[in-house]
Amino acid sequence: MNNLSNMIWIELRKAIRSRMPLWTGLGSLFMPLGMAFLIFVAKNPEIFQKLGLVSAKANLMAYSATDWPSYLVLFAEIISAGGFFFFVMAISWVFGREFADGTLKDILAVPVHRSSILLAKFIVVAAWCAVMAIIIFILGLVVGAIIQLPGGSISVILHGSTVTAITVCLVIAVVLPFAFFASVGRGYLLPMGVAVLTLIMANLMMVVGWAEYFPWAMPILFSQGESSLTPFSYWIVVFTSLAGMIATYVWWKYADQNR
Amino acid sequence: MNLPIETEDLGKRYGDVRAVEHLSLRVAEGEIYAFLGLNGAGKTTTIRMLLGMIKPTTGYAKVLQTRIHIGNREPWESVGYMVEDPHAYAELTVYENLEVARRLHPGTPPKSVGQIIERLGLAAYADRRTGNLSHGNAQRLGLAKALIHDPRLLILDEPANGLDPAGIVEIRELLLELTREHGGTVFMSSHILAEVSRLAGRIGIIHKGQLLQELNTDELERNRRRRLLLRVREVESAFRVLIAADQPAKILQDGSIELKNASSVEHPDDINRLLVNAGTPPTQLMVEEEELEQYFLRLVGMDGGLENE
Repeated sequence: MNNLSNMIWIELRKAIRSRMPLWTGLGSLFMPLGMAFLIFVAKNPEIFQKLGLVSAKANLMAYSATDWPSYLVLFAEIISAGGFFFFVMAISWVFGREFADGTLKDILAVPVHRSSILLAKFIVVAAWCAVMAIIIFILGLVVGAIIQLPGGSISVILHGSTVTAITVCLVIAVVLPFAFFASVGRGYLLPMGVAVLTLIMANLMMVVGWAEYFPWAMPILFSQGESSLTPFSYWIVVFTSLAGMIATYVWWKYADQNR
Repeated sequence: MNLPIETEDLGKRYGDVRAVEHLSLRVAEGEIYAFLGLNGAGKTTTIRMLLGMIKPTTGYAKVLQTRIHIGNREPWESVGYMVEDPHAYAELTVYENLEVARRLHPGTPPKSVGQIIERLGLAAYADRRTGNLSHGNAQRLGLAKALIHDPRLLILDEPANGLDPAGIVEIRELLLELTREHGGTVFMSSHILAEVSRLAGRIGIIHKGQLLQELNTDELERNRRRRLLLRVREVESAFRVLIAADQPAKILQDGSIELKNASSVEHPDDINRLLVNAGTPPTQLMVEEEELEQYFLRLVGMDGGLENE
């Protein structure tokens, strides 16, 4: 336990001092700010008449988020897709940087179990993503209040918060296996490439109707409030997450490490 | 006998490439063992196998009497190491990087960070981000990380790489202190024989993945070729005198005469007397010892040694 707290200290220190959480956090803020901008555009067409395409997209967004309940659904959807990319970025950095920066060799022949080192990394990634999601969500609420959406109440906000929180948990769960891709790919490229592929696959699965069996489509399905998710779907998410972490551990423990 | 490092038939293949083959090493406690080889000879692969980072395809390695299995956490609490180029977390300072190393070795007291900074002469850089360090100071930091938990065994891959002459002397003193005063053992790789000959008690020479020779410093001196070089005014006359006296003389391109036989090298005074009596006295007479690097290259079959004719 003491070892684990030491390893968490190390991972937190590396993350904070690298300013990566700051940059990914700032980057992710564009999601609520972008939404606010598009809704603002749709509500003020006379100011943005010359923007053409932007105006059309803004209208689409505005029609999807005409009140607090629909705004919060849209928000959870955006976190499930956009947040997914920022979370993959975080996990790719935490795991891939040890390979890309050549620092891996210094944490291999040490009297600490590799499981403690990896668990600390997973915990820091999960915390990093959760903090990012909380900041995005709070900003989203502020934006909603500023643009004066109708239909807001404590119960509506609480329900929206719960849906978003569970969506974030699902996203974090399906992002954890990307540690394996960062490790096998010995850097950042493979996990980012696989992330693009999984989103394409998720859309494809939705089209063919198998989305409830595809773990990377489940956060989007959940955020939309669809009832197609079954208990079996949640088990698939749990299994995918655990399998990804175990595969990462097995790879770190048994693969030849030449870097 | 207590052997901090022991390998038996250790080997590693990558497809058809045999990186290391049939390597059987014994490193005794308290000695500095230099593992010498050209780039690509198999030094780093061996070190990675010793440290449990890669799996051997044949044989086994024991470090501090523990058989090494990839991914295990024994016996690393008593082993310090540095593999290839020193890398550190660029966003952290020297102090923070050493704090990371300390926490990776549970039981190491917090004060050891300050102590190792002083010992390695890193005090002026303690608060500097390691991304801004010179290669020499990055190397010092790598050594500090290897030494922070006061290990009994140090495994170092090219520890003097990138250090200036003063830094090399410092490292030499540090390693000698570790072995003499603390009874520690050092296994270090290098590709420069001259660098390790003054430091190591024993030298193992690896080439193309195989251990060519193991020798101690005395043997190294004995095995190096020596020759007697003569300069005379009448080269042809002196050469004829030497041949007539059954001396295997050879005229080199620069006009000097070379004698490689043991009697000439050990008794240059006899050669001098012979030439003086024949009326062709030498103007210069010098016993030259084969350079360490020449000796090394000769051993690995990449140079003729003392043949500069």
